[in-house]
Amino acid sequence: MTDTTAVLGYAWPLIVSAGETIAFHLSSATLDSAEVTLVRVRCGDPDPNGPGLRLREMEASINGHAALAHQVIRPGSCAIVPDGPALSDFQSFTAGAFVWPTLPGDDRAQTVLSRWRDDLQCGWRLGLDSRGHAEFVLSAAGETWRVATLQPLLSREWVLLGASWNARSGAISIMVKSLDPQSGRERSAVVEGHGPTSMPWPRETPLVMAAHAKDEAYYAAFFDGKIDRPRLYAEALTRDALHRLCEAHTVAPGDPHLIGAWNFALDIPTESVTDMSANRLHGTLRQMPARAMTGANWDGSSDRWTDRPTHYGAIHFHSDDMADAEWKPSLEFTIPADWRSGFYALRLRARTESADPVESFVAFFVRADLGKPKSRLAFVASTATFLAYANSALRLDQVHAEAMLEGLLTLSQDDLYIQEHRELGLSTYDTHADGSGWCISTAKRPILNTRPRGAVFNYGNDTHLIDWLEQTGQDYDIITDDDIHRHGLPVLRPYGCVITGSHPEYISREIWDAFDAYQQGGGRHMYLGGNGFYWRIAYHRTQPHTIEMRRGMSGLRTWEGEAGETTLAFTGEPSSTWRSNGRPPQRLLGVGFDAQVFTHSSPYRWLDGAKAPSLGWLTDGIDLDKPLGDFGLRGNGAAGVEVDRVEFTLGSPPGTIWLATADNLGYGGTPTPEEVRTLHRGIMGDQNAQVRADITFFPTANGGGVFSTGSIAWVCALSHTNYQNNVSQLTGNVLKRFLDKEPL
Amino acid sequence: MLVNYPEAAHWQVDTTRLDLVEEFRRKPRGPHGDELQKLLHRMRWAGDFETGGRYVLVVKTPGREWLLARLPRQRGAPVKVMHNRVFTSLADAEWEVFKLRWEALGGASIPEHLREPLV
Repeated sequence: MTDTTAVLGYAWPLIVSAGETIAFHLSSATLDSAEVTLVRVRCGDPDPNGPGLRLREMEASINGHAALAHQVIRPGSCAIVPDGPALSDFQSFTAGAFVWPTLPGDDRAQTVLSRWRDDLQCGWRLGLDSRGHAEFVLSAAGETWRVATLQPLLSREWVLLGASWNARSGAISIMVKSLDPQSGRERSAVVEGHGPTSMPWPRETPLVMAAHAKDEAYYAAFFDGKIDRPRLYAEALTRDALHRLCEAHTVAPGDPHLIGAWNFALDIPTESVTDMSANRLHGTLRQMPARAMTGANWDGSSDRWTDRPTHYGAIHFHSDDMADAEWKPSLEFTIPADWRSGFYALRLRARTESADPVESFVAFFVRADLGKPKSRLAFVASTATFLAYANSALRLDQVHAEAMLEGLLTLSQDDLYIQEHRELGLSTYDTHADGSGWCISTAKRPILNTRPRGAVFNYGNDTHLIDWLEQTGQDYDIITDDDIHRHGLPVLRPYGCVITGSHPEYISREIWDAFDAYQQGGGRHMYLGGNGFYWRIAYHRTQPHTIEMRRGMSGLRTWEGEAGETTLAFTGEPSSTWRSNGRPPQRLLGVGFDAQVFTHSSPYRWLDGAKAPSLGWLTDGIDLDKPLGDFGLRGNGAAGVEVDRVEFTLGSPPGTIWLATADNLGYGGTPTPEEVRTLHRGIMGDQNAQVRADITFFPTANGGGVFSTGSIAWVCALSHTNYQNNVSQLTGNVLKRFLDKEPL
Repeated sequence: MLVNYPEAAHWQVDTTRLDLVEEFRRKPRGPHGDELQKLLHRMRWAGDFETGGRYVLVVKTPGREWLLARLPRQRGAPVKVMHNRVFTSLADAEWEVFKLRWEALGGASIPEHLREPLV
């Protein structure tokens, strides 16, 4: 069995231009070295029923043996305020915040506020003990003072959590005040104990929120849950006084006892946390926790943090947040100027003669130079979608997966690895250990399902289109979602035709606008996928290859965000589906997502629209009386997996020519939730013709046009019977006409 | 928030319905009649957590060979792969797991003439 995980890595940047340098960050827990070869990817799907793996070895100076080392990933988010005199220049103090714990009592301590070093066993920390009880600990010179509440905190209930030390009296206290104390939720308590009368504070120790310092370099005891309005005050306050201090959105910076008062509602799109006190104890966030989260005072008067920022003073920290593996680069390579744009990968091999040979890949993309097309055709690498699905554990964690997929789960070596190695960071389909949704995905980590031999969904399926282009001798450039987002229309405009692949699902406003302008400006768009242009995302403003999404109250979603938390922190835009943002995909593509079907895929049947004599260029060489695509690698049909349909009330253009439909998808055809407003039986594909895949064409302004197939399975039918089939013929006919400069 | 309720799969299995066993044996990959769909949904939604983890397949050779395995419900716990349980078709694997689940649900003993896959 091929070992695909003995060595892992990531390329940075994920997307490069020819002439630029790329670094490969590699790690292996078991291998000292591997044979590395740079390859160009034609087909990344090893399935022998299709083209199989097709990789072209490239001449590259780094080909050969590479030494490997083991590099550790350290997940867990927190806020870090660098040490400074203001953090030691007091004795008595009070620390507190509103907190909303999500994993209290999971057999480990969770620190909320701290200036503590595990290795020195020195400092103070406020948080939860392993049983979920609120605790306050002071320790120095081998002596420890601790006070804790008698009851554990409740999961997902707001409390004021505080601790104070009175150096004059030597009293310490832990304070909890339940914000909703009725119906069994009451956890309010003040517990006092004996403490020291003086404390030597640890040196070179940051103030940490949602964790504490393990040693000089690392952090531990990560807190799962939300923290809102943390405060630090150089006097022992009562619980009521602390409550007033935390409740205040504006503090008195002139108060000489005010050490720090952090306002997480400021700088939400960034990794900065801002202190409103005169000490300016600003901090930075590690591993990208979720911002723009509803605070203890959120009252539902707005669901936009941009409208009511004071209600969004919380950050949701997770012990498994992971945005940056922080691995050192192992290899660097400057892409030769004459390399074509394309899907590429670093192949790593070891133990080639053994029963379990290692063959692992690190994928990257070489983009076509902006404004310097080398072809009339561009194929879009759906890098936003690849990121959204990066390291998906959906089939491992979500018990509906086998029922949804209508058959036994087939796991790969990569899946087995992810099951045991959650430190890789999961996808936006997954939930954190505390059950909350994963909002952010980055490329600074190994991504196992975006590479040759990886799970075929998305990346692997899209390489079938590349394989077909190579097979048919069609030249093409590769452009990426990330670049369309960053540079907009100029990325698309040089091309006579742009193809989007099997599943261009995650789209920022900038990407949408670029396609809209391209199509209206006479561009030709072939959308050869399903469930495309579906979710609204944002890219981080400064961190490359980093996306954010919020799953709201509509759409086919594997988790549902908390009420009030559907606005993107990176930009302040609403997230959720584009349909709920007033831009149903039908308006741009002619078709939009309506259903998924995993029992089997189906052929399309031609409709009268295809029989117009003016469409001879489209149907040339195709028998319209025969099924279209009654074959394919995904369910033995070209219409399946996730499918889209025409809907004029959702914006399918009046000029849409409805060419073909697959509207007998059987009982496995399952409509997406937003297609079902009221409930009644009989909504599955065996009884419901709205569950279907449609093929459409419509001309756009200035001689442009859009051709859509509305099915993820489409591109995986192209290679059937040595590429001689009606799916291949139709795709080729449309491409030929779309590359012709004559207006449509 | 992720909400999973495998225990909600409560369709009542009639453990004498060997006709459903026969229907599945003939067409492990479907399409299936209404009642067999419900039986399969009961099995697939509930999983096999009470008996040691969901039955899954692990790809040994892409498109050619699969191993039987158990996926534990607990995140991070390793998948238990049965290296000596190799299938060369997904239909064979579905039939094998169906039999295991049928027996776990207290189904009537499958007669000898129904035990082997159809050729």
